[in-house]
Amino acid sequence: MNFSGLDWMVLVTTLVCIILYGIYKGRSSKKNLEGYFLSDRQMPWWVVLLSIMGTQASAVTFLSAPGQAFTDGMRFVQYYFGLPIAMVIIAFAFVPVFRRMKIFTAYEYLEQRFDIKTRLLTSFLFMLSRGLSTGISILAPSLVLHSMMGWDITITNLVMGGVLMIYTATGGAKAVGYTQQLQFVIIYIAMFVAAWWAVKSLPEGVGFTDALHIGGKAGKLNVFTTGVTENGFDWKDRFNIWSGIFGGLFLALSYFGTDQSQVGRYLTARTEGESKLGLLMNGLAKVPLQFFILLIGVLVFSFYQFYKAPAFFNLALEEKVKSSEHSPAYTEAVAKYDVIQEEKRQTAISLAQALHNDDEATIDKLRTTIKEQETASNQSREAIKEIVKKAVPGADSNDTNYVFLRFVGDFFPKGLVGLIIAIIFLAAWGSVAAALNSLASCTMVDFHKRLSKKELSAEKEYKWSRYYTLLWGVFCIIVAQFAYSLGNSLIEAVNIIGSWFYGAILGIFLVAFYLKKVKGSAVFYAALLTELIVIIIYKLDMFSWLWLNVIGAVLVVVLSLVIQMILPRKNGEQKEKALS
Amino acid sequence: MQQHSQNREQEKVPLFPKWSYWYWLVIGFLGLLIVLFYFFTKHFA
Repeated sequence: MNFSGLDWMVLVTTLVCIILYGIYKGRSSKKNLEGYFLSDRQMPWWVVLLSIMGTQASAVTFLSAPGQAFTDGMRFVQYYFGLPIAMVIIAFAFVPVFRRMKIFTAYEYLEQRFDIKTRLLTSFLFMLSRGLSTGISILAPSLVLHSMMGWDITITNLVMGGVLMIYTATGGAKAVGYTQQLQFVIIYIAMFVAAWWAVKSLPEGVGFTDALHIGGKAGKLNVFTTGVTENGFDWKDRFNIWSGIFGGLFLALSYFGTDQSQVGRYLTARTEGESKLGLLMNGLAKVPLQFFILLIGVLVFSFYQFYKAPAFFNLALEEKVKSSEHSPAYTEAVAKYDVIQEEKRQTAISLAQALHNDDEATIDKLRTTIKEQETASNQSREAIKEIVKKAVPGADSNDTNYVFLRFVGDFFPKGLVGLIIAIIFLAAWGSVAAALNSLASCTMVDFHKRLSKKELSAEKEYKWSRYYTLLWGVFCIIVAQFAYSLGNSLIEAVNIIGSWFYGAILGIFLVAFYLKKVKGSAVFYAALLTELIVIIIYKLDMFSWLWLNVIGAVLVVVLSLVIQMILPRKNGEQKEKALS
Repeated sequence: MQQHSQNREQEKVPLFPKWSYWYWLVIGFLGLLIVLFYFFTKHFA
């Protein structure tokens, strides 16, 4: 992929501007825990909103989502249907409690409600999963850039996960929040430009709505699916309206209500109302924005109906296959794929003409043809991926994350390529910065300050908080490097571990809020038991992973009620006395 | 605590008289989006 001098200039200028802006904004926060972790609770709602969005959207969001729409259609948008409902529940039930108690971390509340062991367990589970997943969210975009641009993986990891520490460690939550605001604006301007360029690149006479019709006829505009097949509801179907609303609701409740990387964002608001407004605005904006990002993938798909699409989008891996003994088989499979592509091109041209002439009979006929050709094309790509797997054992043959960047590299003008690469770094920085800030706050507040026998001065607490931010940054880069050397197995393991914990953590908070009779020991053992059951369910492959969040939360609630009934009443009463 | 509760009560809800109006707006907008998505899928397929 060509990266010109102009691209370098755009990339470096954008990144330097963000660092300077972060340092500038972070310098005014007070040098104590409240200033460092909660921006002195002085953030307006729109900064809270953009900070929430910037924390959730990692680099992979912008790399993977268009590729996801290209391969599987837009049904992934349904994954976000539970999010607005979760925003309402959190604004209504969680925010008033967190604000009233003036807590730094969500887990502090658990000690006040239950006991210290439940607080430390939940905080530890959060730090474990967030620390590992942040390492992976540094590596994932670095891998794509390493493969497409040929950049050194260690240097890319250091820039992706290390440079942001300049402003995150010095400026704390305030620097994180304000840089996320600027990052968000740059990212969405760049994505709008990318969408415009994709439409502009379509052949003459083919417009935006034609591109949508072509994508739609190929089944890529499937933004509403029920998951019901001839055999009934498919519990393993990943994205449909039901898994999106119910599974997505529990996932979003857990992520926004109990994950410190998000709780820490809305606790920075000036007032309780501004915390709520930031969350509710996220509920209004998230689904349309995700729809837009996925739509770019459909535009890329429609574009490739008229121009030759790569058979395999990962450039570096393709080169390895070509230099292996499987090269002849690969070349033969690509030739077959190219024949299907040419047939698809003819169909797309005919369809565009039929759409312009309002020729319904031809449109109907071509709808069937385009679907058949798309199925043949997918089968051909699967055969190519099988060859890739054989040629390079252990390599990831899934090229979804490479689709958008390959399109950008092959067809975008100089300068715009640099801007798109810049948004990958900015998106990574936004989510990593918030993660480091939250990991440092849990280490400092839940462990260091809570377990330390010595009273620390505000200045010392501030210093320790900065050290912890740096330490977590180093830890995450080490995880990224380690995961790279171990290959896909660790990346998959980390993603899976996240889905194991989220439901149980949410369950603990639901019990805390709504089941006043349940005490610390009951919920503690219920959470441990739930983890065991969730892992067994996962191993048996009974449900799609989104449902694990629902199962985990429900199990903690039910089991804690049962255990509370079994446990001797005396224990509960003693605890209650101790708390009062 | 009492003073804090008073502050909460005094804090004006933006645009609407109560927070419940905001909650219904968010849920209603989601419902509208799902209906629009249904017709969007149907129209372009």
